[in-house]
Amino acid sequence: MHGYHGRYLRVDLTTGDAADEPLEEQVLRQVVGGVGLASYLLNELCPVGAEPLGPANPLVLATSPFVGTGITTAAKLAVAARSPQTGFVGDSLSSSYLAINLKRTGFDALVVTGRAAGPTLLVVDGPVARLEPAEDLLGLAPAATSDAVRARFGTGFRVAAVGLAGERQVRYASIVNDGRLAGRTGAGAVMGSKNLKAIAIRGDRLPTVAEPRRLAEAARALAARSLGPATAKYRELGTAANLAFFERIGVLPSRNWADGGFEGAGALAGETLLVEHGVDRHACAACTVGCDHHYRTRDAGPAVETRLEYETLFALGPLCGIADPNAVLRAAARCDELGLDAISTGATIAWAMECRKRGVSLCRGEHVPAFGDADGVLNTIDAIARRAGVGDLLAEGTRRAAEVVGQGSAEWAMHVKGLEMPGYDPRKLPTLALGLAVATRGACHNRSSAYEVDLSDRLGDDASIDARARAAAETEDGAALLDSLTLCKFLRGCFRDLPAEAAELYELVTGLPTTGVDLRRAGARIVNLKKLFNIRQGWTRSDDSLPPRLRADVPDLDALIAAYYRVRGWNADGTIPASTLQELAFV
Amino acid sequence: MRVELFGVPRLLAGRRAIEVEPPSPTLADAARALGAACPALVGPVLDPASGWLVEGYTFALETRFTRDPAACVPPRASVLLVASQAGG
Repeated sequence: MHGYHGRYLRVDLTTGDAADEPLEEQVLRQVVGGVGLASYLLNELCPVGAEPLGPANPLVLATSPFVGTGITTAAKLAVAARSPQTGFVGDSLSSSYLAINLKRTGFDALVVTGRAAGPTLLVVDGPVARLEPAEDLLGLAPAATSDAVRARFGTGFRVAAVGLAGERQVRYASIVNDGRLAGRTGAGAVMGSKNLKAIAIRGDRLPTVAEPRRLAEAARALAARSLGPATAKYRELGTAANLAFFERIGVLPSRNWADGGFEGAGALAGETLLVEHGVDRHACAACTVGCDHHYRTRDAGPAVETRLEYETLFALGPLCGIADPNAVLRAAARCDELGLDAISTGATIAWAMECRKRGVSLCRGEHVPAFGDADGVLNTIDAIARRAGVGDLLAEGTRRAAEVVGQGSAEWAMHVKGLEMPGYDPRKLPTLALGLAVATRGACHNRSSAYEVDLSDRLGDDASIDARARAAAETEDGAALLDSLTLCKFLRGCFRDLPAEAAELYELVTGLPTTGVDLRRAGARIVNLKKLFNIRQGWTRSDDSLPPRLRADVPDLDALIAAYYRVRGWNADGTIPASTLQELAFV
Repeated sequence: MRVELFGVPRLLAGRRAIEVEPPSPTLADAARALGAACPALVGPVLDPASGWLVEGYTFALETRFTRDPAACVPPRASVLLVASQAGG
């Protein structure tokens, strides 16, 4: 088999045992890799009802056949677990050297189960895994943890680590490697619940490639396309470029989604940030796009230099009523140091701010910042990571915090299935409204990608409900395919026909005859696989919805959801009939 | 006609918007007038030969996105010039 090792490594932290497990070629073909493979292993290994922060919940890291091949942007790994935020499938992608090192171990994936007796470092050195004590690493930021581990074991290792937030099991804690994050759905909390502070990975054994010379040519051609105008936005400005345009067309949420615009957007615009705060630009391993823009504070306060994405900017800026770019940069840097998902952090603080505005008490004697209180946001971020005072409540995320507080606060808890909303207002983006409502991991623009439909000429304003449902399913399948091939979504514009062109690359890597139709079906299969996991873990029709604040402004939502289920070949209640599973040649 | 610039076009032009007077209200003529008013856009954003948008950019008439050169700009409507790739 080319492109795959056909094995995964399973480590039980409770016993310290490691096992080399097979992965059949048929399975790998059907789920491709990345998010597909991680979702497959999660489905196989996570017991029904496993407590997300309990030892039975497997933490899965999975690569794809493209990792380590030189295909631009493919150095990514998927992280999956039952999410402590949603109780459903939690999957996230992270990039760079760690993915290549994992692929070099001789395994396609790593699965960690159980719970260590004390703070632990998992060392995967080629085919051999061992556990090391990690008391000395507790409290360190992920970057500092990585530095300490590599100083101790060698710079050939790459490290995934949690920060204080993961150690304290903040439900939206992230896992950090090489300056990149598996940010959403709380994988960092799962890792922390296992007493696992860090994973160090090194290896020297990549799988063979079927057609190395032809693959090198195809990879060079794709790399050349990746330097063209289709990616210029990301290369020149990064995702922060979204903010000014989103504000202009009224889809930039602000002040906990009470407003659909923000008067301070000018100072936070990506174009302004680049000129006034830009420092330099970084790229992940094996990436020719280089979208990772870094910025520096320019005021009299403590100097900070940090990366910044649109979602971080929106969540810690307009959503919290903050227009000072220096304050947003400090808050973003703090989230990275503590290992927090910036979207859920900002959204949860914004929910608390609205509670304060409405006179709803969260915690007696504790300070909750008002909208626009930048120092208050920084202090609250620290409190969340330490689970101190009101931070202990907010560490649970908006859904659980609203359940505890009551007093109608669920009405302004902005989440789907427990995952806080990204920075695209679905009240003006009807296809995305559907995509966010039905997405298996909760309110997620990346797994849905339906904003592509609304922010393009693909469908007119008068598109039928069925057409919109088909478009939402197609973008979701396309996203699942990219996430399983571990290709960056910023490459989308470089393909004329993604499944067909990706199939050519896949065949050159694996030697397995593959068509665009095969990969299109694989995307649909992976979406179904994740839905199947959710159903097994208790999903019901009522979980596919939008927050109450938004629902009234998306009057066709129920009809859109019903149409989407039909397009998917699902039952009217959203469950999956056996015939659909058979049609997808389900594993 | 006012063309509002976002992202790379704004960086290249060094301004947020450009007023143009195309001979007709079509986007094709608007694009050509834009290139004449701001030569920095020609090449990276506007095709030097045709004057039309290169792949990777689109116009939006408020929230209606279009790459149709024949599309007409309604009187007093804003034309937005932005990258086709919306996500991030």
